[in-house]
This record gives sequence, structure tokens and C-alpha cells, in this order.
Amino acid sequence: MAELVAAMAMTHSPGLTGWFTRASEEYQRQALGATAEMRRRLEAARPDVLVMFSNDHLLNWSINNVPEYTVGIGEEHVGPADWFDEWLGMEKYRVPGHSALARFIVNEGARRRLAFAYLRAMQFDDGISVPTHYLNPNGRFRLVPVGMNCTVPPIPTPERAYHVGTVLRDVLRAYPGTERVAVIGTGGLSHEPGGPRYFWVDEEFDRWFLELLAKGDHVTLLRECTLERMEAAGSGGTAELLAWFLVLAMTRGPADVLAYMPAIAWRSGTGMVAWNEFAQGA
Amino acid sequence: MGNVERCDPTLPTNEMMYYVRRDPALRARWLTDLEGIAREFGLSRAEYEAIRDKDPKRLMDLGVHQYYVPQILRLFFGAAQNSNASAALECYKRAFPEETATAMALQARLEGG
Repeated sequence: MAELVAAMAMTHSPGLTGWFTRASEEYQRQALGATAEMRRRLEAARPDVLVMFSNDHLLNWSINNVPEYTVGIGEEHVGPADWFDEWLGMEKYRVPGHSALARFIVNEGARRRLAFAYLRAMQFDDGISVPTHYLNPNGRFRLVPVGMNCTVPPIPTPERAYHVGTVLRDVLRAYPGTERVAVIGTGGLSHEPGGPRYFWVDEEFDRWFLELLAKGDHVTLLRECTLERMEAAGSGGTAELLAWFLVLAMTRGPADVLAYMPAIAWRSGTGMVAWNEFAQGA
Repeated sequence: MGNVERCDPTLPTNEMMYYVRRDPALRARWLTDLEGIAREFGLSRAEYEAIRDKDPKRLMDLGVHQYYVPQILRLFFGAAQNSNASAALECYKRAFPEETATAMALQARLEGG
């Protein structure tokens, strides 16, 4: 059976690669330090594959038909998509996929009443590309990307994401292989991409959210970090934290908050966390 | 609920943007034949004019998904090295003066610039 060996989350704002130096030197130093620490922990955990959760920014599906979740099942992943490489200031990258595990997630998810769409050739925006740049720059770890919807109504709730996370945790562990799996949520923290408050972050919300993660307080997070509260802290962007809720469901105990920067210059509350323990499953 | 839930997924502009982002030929026509592209995708006159005028507020009032608003601006101003930062900011300042001024003041306080 496969084993969970690392759980982490980080912001994927395009500013982290596209216009990194527009933020203060202090923020740059913190972001580089935190992502280096994430990389160090990943290397120590020796995963065979990274299962990365991120919202799709309306890149892979037209708005007339947006699945809640989509798994990239290709044997290789290539990004960023043409529309995004200039924006992200990134060269094209190639990362080996894990088709067998990805297809298992789709099929085993269906058996457990969860619908996963899939794509053999998934396209990548900042959601997968920015964390890949920092955590898996040489494609050393295989990748299973899982896209999600958090911006096209109806937007799933945190409770729903947490539930999906618990099922996925069991699905990953049920995989008939000896793979060591790292799960990584990407997105958030507070921001409002393209909305009236495009150039704004909600530091108070971000610090409150991270403090609850640092306490490992899943009950309060699920009770108080509602979709409404996330939308109030930045519509259409803060709810990217649903990817963090997916990972949260696979963990237990406190998360280490590695950095937090209310970085308006990167147009997002920017944070990095890593968990130390995993939830027991079925 | 938040701004993003004001979007109208059935609005032709929202469908059009999916194809424009993927198709270099459509992107190449953006600056020279926007009206033709708008006609092909069945945009209303109001949608076309809000795009032409680069007006984030009117676009969102019509139901354009907020993701697509800066992307529409990128089609006019380009994306290299975030070169649309000041151009996009100017559009948002005009459309949402209060929100943008609050954000700029916050940034000045947090980052000293």
C-alpha cells in the first residue's frame, strides 16, 4: 500500500516567479527561506510522487462545464501553458507523471462516490507551475496534478473539500504500490484576482487562518472558516484555500507556519506551511 | 456572497475568453479585429464596448468572470515582466477608485512603497 510521507501547502501567486523582485527584500528573503525549507523537508521525506492540489484558473475547462475536480493522468506534464509562460516569467518545464496512480484516483474515487474528471494532457497555469518551480525544479519527483474549482458557482464549501480530502487520503493509501506520496495544497491566502479589490490582501484573516493551522484546530477551522468568510477576505482567490483543506484532512496536529507575508506586490497574502503528522484513515 | 459569484457563466464573453487564451490566431487578431471576434462569439454590443473601453467595472457588472478581466487587459497591454502592472492598475483605479486607493495605502504601510 502507498504511504503518505509529507503534507505541505503554499501560495502559488504568479508574482512569486513573474515579478518576484517587486516585493520588499524582506518578503523575498522570507519566501526563498520558506520554500527552501519545504524543499529540504521533501527531500528528507523521499517521496516518489507529489500529488498537488490547485484550482484551475479556467484554463483547462470552458466556463460552460467546470468539474469540481480534475486529475492529470498523463505520463508527463509540460507547463506553463503558452498563455502563462510570459506572465509567470518561466521557461517551459517537464515533469514525469504517474499515470497509474492518477488513473487509480479517478477510478477508486468513483467507487467511493466522488467524481473526478481527468485530462491526459493537462495545461498548467500558476497553480501548479509556481510550486513546481520552487519545490520540484528538476522534475525529480513524479507529479499527479489535481485541479479543482473554487471560482465558478456553485463554489464548493470547506466542509466539502475536507470530506473529499478524507476520501482521497484513503484512496491514496489504498493504492496497490509501495509509493511514498507527498500531498501539497497550493493557492491562497487572501486575495481577489481580478475583482474590485484586486490590489489588496486581508492580513487579519490570513494570520487568523494560519494560527488555527498552527494549533491544529480542525474543528474551529471547519466551523468558522466558512466560504462566506473566505469570500469576504478576497473573493475568488481566498477560496483557493480549499486546496489546503484537502490536505488538512489528511493530517493531524499542528502545522509549522514557515512564513507569512501580506504581499500586495505579489497580489496575494503569501504563506507556506508543513505538517508533521498524518490522520489515521480507514 | 463575494464578487466572483456575480459572474454569469452563460455570458458569451466568458466562453470567448477560453478560446482566445488558447488560440494564437485569435490573440493576434485582438488588437486589429476585436469587433469581428466579438461578432463571431455572439457578444452583445455592451460586452464589446466594455472590452473595447477596458472597463473592469462594466465588465463585471455584465457578468464577466473576474479572472478574465485582467486577462482582457493583458490582451491589450501584454504580459512580459508583468508589464501590464501600471496599465492594469490605471484601469482599476478608474473603475474602482475607493478599493484601489485603500489597497495602495495598505501596501505603502506594509511594504513602504
